[in-house]
Amino acid sequence: MAKFKKTESGRNLSRILSKGYLDLHTRASQGAFVVWIAINVPAELFAGFENVVYGVPESHAAMNAGKGVGAIQCEKAERIGYSMDLCSYARIDIGCVSDNGKDSPSFGLPKPDLLVSDNNNCSLLVKWFEVHHREMGVPHFIIDVPFCYEPQQKKDRDYIIAQFHGLIQTIEKMSGQRFDPDRVSEAVASTNQGISHWKRFLSFAGHRPSGITAFDSFVHMAPFLTMRGTSEFVNHYKLLADETEQRVAAGDFPVKNEKYRLFWDNIAPWHQLRNMSDSLAAHGANIVGATYTSCIGSVEGSFDMYPYDGGDPLEYCARTQNCYICPHGLNLRSKAMRQAVKRLNIDGIVFASNRSCKPYSVTQMDQQRTMTEKLGIPSVMIDVDHADVRKYSRQSTFTRLEALIESIAAKRAA
Amino acid sequence: MNAIKRLRKLQGEGKKIVGCFPLYPPVELFYAMELVPVVLWGLTDAHTQTPKSDRHLQNYTCFVARDLTEFILTQGHALLDGIFMYNACDTLRNLPEIFIKETKASGGSLPLIRMHLPMSPQDQTDSSKYFNDEINAVIRSFTEDLGTSFSSERFEEGIRLYNRMRKLAIFAQHRVARGRMGFLPFADTMRNACFMPVGEQVSALESLLRMYPEDSGDPNDSKTDTGVILSGILPPPPSIIAAIESAGMRVVGNDIASLHRSYADIPAPESDPCEYYRDFYFHHTPCSTLLFSGDRRLQTLMDMVDKTGAMGVIFVGEKFCEYEYFEFPYLEKELRKKGVKTLRIEISMQDDAHAGGISSRIEAFAEMTAS
Repeated sequence: MAKFKKTESGRNLSRILSKGYLDLHTRASQGAFVVWIAINVPAELFAGFENVVYGVPESHAAMNAGKGVGAIQCEKAERIGYSMDLCSYARIDIGCVSDNGKDSPSFGLPKPDLLVSDNNNCSLLVKWFEVHHREMGVPHFIIDVPFCYEPQQKKDRDYIIAQFHGLIQTIEKMSGQRFDPDRVSEAVASTNQGISHWKRFLSFAGHRPSGITAFDSFVHMAPFLTMRGTSEFVNHYKLLADETEQRVAAGDFPVKNEKYRLFWDNIAPWHQLRNMSDSLAAHGANIVGATYTSCIGSVEGSFDMYPYDGGDPLEYCARTQNCYICPHGLNLRSKAMRQAVKRLNIDGIVFASNRSCKPYSVTQMDQQRTMTEKLGIPSVMIDVDHADVRKYSRQSTFTRLEALIESIAAKRAA
Repeated sequence: MNAIKRLRKLQGEGKKIVGCFPLYPPVELFYAMELVPVVLWGLTDAHTQTPKSDRHLQNYTCFVARDLTEFILTQGHALLDGIFMYNACDTLRNLPEIFIKETKASGGSLPLIRMHLPMSPQDQTDSSKYFNDEINAVIRSFTEDLGTSFSSERFEEGIRLYNRMRKLAIFAQHRVARGRMGFLPFADTMRNACFMPVGEQVSALESLLRMYPEDSGDPNDSKTDTGVILSGILPPPPSIIAAIESAGMRVVGNDIASLHRSYADIPAPESDPCEYYRDFYFHHTPCSTLLFSGDRRLQTLMDMVDKTGAMGVIFVGEKFCEYEYFEFPYLEKELRKKGVKTLRIEISMQDDAHAGGISSRIEAFAEMTAS
């Protein structure tokens, strides 16, 4: 069985996340300018202002799902007319806002002064934020990021940078605060430092048995979404990587009898982390890596770290706008996945077909065939919804996961 | 004649055909380069199943994408000279690589010409230069990949022809609104027109207008129907249109993406394509897929209600088209505040199986609206 003993980094995570939400509410109530952002919006920009704080509805929705109230919030949105086919993050957030944060572990997010969405992960984020824009009467800034079929082009980067400048001017105008670019450089440098520890943490998946599970990485993503550019961010990922290193050195592995090393493709199934991890571990299987967490701090087509060179921080932020899986095409996704699968000695791939995230899922059937053709390793497609437990069947999922494990075993025996 | 036959006819006439994924391609530009653009929506009558598409797209992908994929993978590479797309939706943006790979595997080739349509509102970021570069890149791509060249004279001629077609479409829509013709012949003509060169589109609409003249003595004339507006990505299937009209409702306006949102804008003639398309896109009738147009969406619909005197709005949701579904609750709420009745029905392009149940709801809606 996977060990879910609370680690020091686990305790620290709980502490900094609780403190983060508390600080957000406190500073908002004291007059800070509050921005709600999509996860890919470069949060480091807000460090350039004296008193701007930000909330991240997607991260907040994931927390609701992880704490078991995702479906409750979804139902609230459905009752006011939002289709069950819409993204469950969006339904959680809209449902939560509809009754002022009731049932949320953090009592929701403080009311925003500005909404900032982008369309690189998905255009529907813009539609989702538009719902708040219309209902709350709060201005909505849209960052438009061109999709990549090849590595990001300079013309697109320049266009993104121009929009960052537009966002900065908008905040200056609305908040009355002056922007200090040096503070953004410092924030980006901190993000870069924290990500280097994150990458070090993920690298312990290469150990046999793996020093981590992908489920650990899912849980520890949260500071990347809500605390980029801060000292807490750097300190947390240093602690996480150091602690993992010590555990590996001490022979303390999450799945000691690891027989099957798996790789995950799609958003984390937030409502099933413990359950899925335990059940797989009982089979000697460990999902050691995931596209979802490996892409952080990279650029499209690779999971290697893309370092900040100390230059223009806006240039760096723009360059990394396509790094997440959804803002780039099938060929680039395949390239990065092949590299990871080889590097981590993966035995099988779990493609989580996610009804709530079509941009992540739409190419998976082709990706699955590509992995079989190029690498010859077994894979399976399971149906999940990242935050709506009502759309998940444990029985059907594990029938397929067990079939994957059997096919890996059969391949070894042959 | 179904869509495939029309495409074969065009091919037989030696036309170079470019299949377009999005609903609002820069059609005059194609005309200027002696290309025939065809918007690949509504190919359902070309196939009833989607086995090839099902190998690539999950069943929770909208049928527009699945239908389009089936066409490209079965007949597209033989009938088309290229495909064109811009960033119209998250599903469509993931399809080109699948098409290119599969076409290559079957020994063919299908050039992909694409552009990025800036989705940032112009009052937030001035994307004019970026947009101009994208339009110029499209012209270069057509030249290099399809061996065509841009003609300013043809561009201006294309503007005249397409604007004529748009005006005729608006005339025809008005005749539907006044009960001179049913919505079905109008929607059918517009769908068929997608697979015609613009000159034939004009002829088809002129013919339609002759068939249903202003003083036709159509039996609808005597009816005191309740006026409704249809809103959605695509018009509903014929059985649903029949149910709406037989329930005593008349379509006095439409906010359908493949209809009114596509032909409502008649930009001023302009010899510079960049300037013309900046006007065309950035002032386009609001659409859920044009992210920068969100703030104008409600007002545009309200204006349509006022202008047409519609008593109700029927939202026709294409299953899994999330762009539309995110907007429905707000639009419904605001319309109801104004005393306008609303009904939401969910359809799928290929699925007429639930028409019976939907018809009952339509009848109930008609009674409620009339009362």
